[in-house]
Amino acid sequence: MKKVLAMLLVFSMACSMIACGKKEENPAPATEGSSDAEAPAETPAEGEPAASGETYKAALLLNGNLGDKSFYDSANEGLTRLRDELGADVFDFKVEQMGGTDADQPKWEPTLLDYCDSGEYDVIIMGTWQMADPLAKAAVEYPDQKFMFFDEQFDFAGNGDPQNIYNILYKQNEVSYLVGAAAAMMTTDASFEGVDPATKKIGFLGGMDNAVINDFLKGYEQGAHDIDPEIEVVVAWVGDFVNSAQGKELALAQYQNGVDVGYNVAGNAGLGQIEAAGDTGLYAFGVDSDQAALLPQYADRIPTSALKNVGNSLYRAIKLDLEGQLTYGTTEVLGFAEGGVELVKDAHYEEMLPENIRTKLDELEKDIIDGKIIVDTAIER
Amino acid sequence: MLESLLSPEFFNAILRATTPILFAALAASVASKAGITNMALEGIMLFSALFGVIFSAMTGNFFTGLILTMVIGGVIGWFLAFFVLNLKTDEILAAVAINLIATGGTVLLMLAVSGDRGSSTSIASFSAPRIAIPLIDKIPFLGEIISGQNLMTYLAILAVIIMHLFMYKTPLGLKIRAVGENKNAAESVGISSRKIQYIALILSGVLASMGGFFMSGGYMNMFTKDMSAGRGYIALAASAMGGNTPIGAALVSLLFGAAQALGNMMQLTEIPHELIQMVPYLTTLIGLGIYSYSVKKRKEKLAGK
Repeated sequence: MKKVLAMLLVFSMACSMIACGKKEENPAPATEGSSDAEAPAETPAEGEPAASGETYKAALLLNGNLGDKSFYDSANEGLTRLRDELGADVFDFKVEQMGGTDADQPKWEPTLLDYCDSGEYDVIIMGTWQMADPLAKAAVEYPDQKFMFFDEQFDFAGNGDPQNIYNILYKQNEVSYLVGAAAAMMTTDASFEGVDPATKKIGFLGGMDNAVINDFLKGYEQGAHDIDPEIEVVVAWVGDFVNSAQGKELALAQYQNGVDVGYNVAGNAGLGQIEAAGDTGLYAFGVDSDQAALLPQYADRIPTSALKNVGNSLYRAIKLDLEGQLTYGTTEVLGFAEGGVELVKDAHYEEMLPENIRTKLDELEKDIIDGKIIVDTAIER
Repeated sequence: MLESLLSPEFFNAILRATTPILFAALAASVASKAGITNMALEGIMLFSALFGVIFSAMTGNFFTGLILTMVIGGVIGWFLAFFVLNLKTDEILAAVAINLIATGGTVLLMLAVSGDRGSSTSIASFSAPRIAIPLIDKIPFLGEIISGQNLMTYLAILAVIIMHLFMYKTPLGLKIRAVGENKNAAESVGISSRKIQYIALILSGVLASMGGFFMSGGYMNMFTKDMSAGRGYIALAASAMGGNTPIGAALVSLLFGAAQALGNMMQLTEIPHELIQMVPYLTTLIGLGIYSYSVKKRKEKLAGK
């Protein structure tokens, strides 16, 4: 009996090791394979200026994995689009999936340093606040290596002002402004099933009370108040980004107290708000990925989603870099005008929101692009 | 605010928040009574939350999904027992290992089954239904609280009664308590402490898995990454505060559930949310203080002071 158990144990451990190994090895051949497949088909005769005649190579280091249907997939999509357009001999990239759990965290910095050490890549791309410290170290240690860093402010002054980092931020306040305006118009519109136009309350479910989430909130509040100053924005905080059941409870408390429309900016915990909207027959706006498409069973509760278009921003940055137009050592904040953020406007959106609301949103978006509306921000820029 | 606190919705929220903690607290109490701290509750709940979704989707109904999930819970409990009792691993370290495997393993499994990493939305799973009790649901206010809860909530209450009877009215319950009290004394009267502790840990795993099942099949209707969010650890505290008895654990779980629901309601007010988020933990701290004071008093009394 004991021997059998020991054998079983060894077997299961071996299996799990193989499984883990596979998980990490898989992506690399996949990306290489696809580039091989595409290379012969592409004819890069469009006369795009290649950097010094050689292939411009980028490494995308993800402190997570592809398949998140959000930032990382978007980043991968943007780079793939650029490669398809320019051809793999002008621009090529490699994705390194480092994993996003606490257990993966210790390998992020060594992986980054390995990539710097190899010297093969024109630029190394990474994002989110968790990579800020490793990047600060690498940027000083490898002053000739270029980096791109998205979705978190890089503290240039506090890290010896490195001139090899291009920092991309997104105007989540601008896209949230539109969400706030849409929510304000919905909560006073009796034509939406379940909406009580007498209670002028809209909800906001935040993950953690940090600068980026507050930037979402500021834009949301301003957008709502510009439509109707009497709108009350009810705010709740989950305290983390994973406790979905807690998110659902908080959202239910809001919906049961007069809120008709919510906006979830709480990662996976935000899925709780969408379920709460489903249970109460009310509405919630999505964030970061097209949640109406991701959650078909709740699609009729989600008018649209607010996106940061990481892919677009990287596409733009590398194109500028190829033309020699990109200034490293600076931070750029991309909004509607640069395609850095967007509201999902597909057939589902047109079906859910009536024409008067959609027209108003288009007008507001244009006003933001034209600079007629300046959206408040919670981030010092 | 006061109006919301007196509404049936608030009491429903308390029961919803209590249910998963209650199952896990019962799981903690039976293991503790057998002399083992089952720190792996968190991991068992997380695994069960995912398997609940997978099994109910595979079998097409929640009930077989629940039964299979309970089997998984028992198996993980058996694993823990095997490591602790046969291989003499430290019980805390083995449990921490299970919890860590659960964090990564659930994501890996979810990816394999559904192709998603964040949530199991693409799996069409089945949740435990809400039960409307005829006649009682007609009573104003009380009826809205007593009737219409999720089946798992009723099962949790039933589990408290069953566990109480089991621990205090059956020979096996007596043996579990004897082993936990003094292993050597129990062995001396011919009880196999290893066998008893195996049984206790497997039972503990089964109970925790019911709490996990409720997380993704009742509370939420999908699995999301790391969704147990510390409830297993809260349950350990609840069990300890309740003196590791089923009824004590249940009462403290209810207190924690109430604190959680109260905190959620308070977020509707202007009170800073940082203060509000302290409410559940503050309740724990105060509760533990009162508990240890009463234990101290009782000991002093016994010592004749």
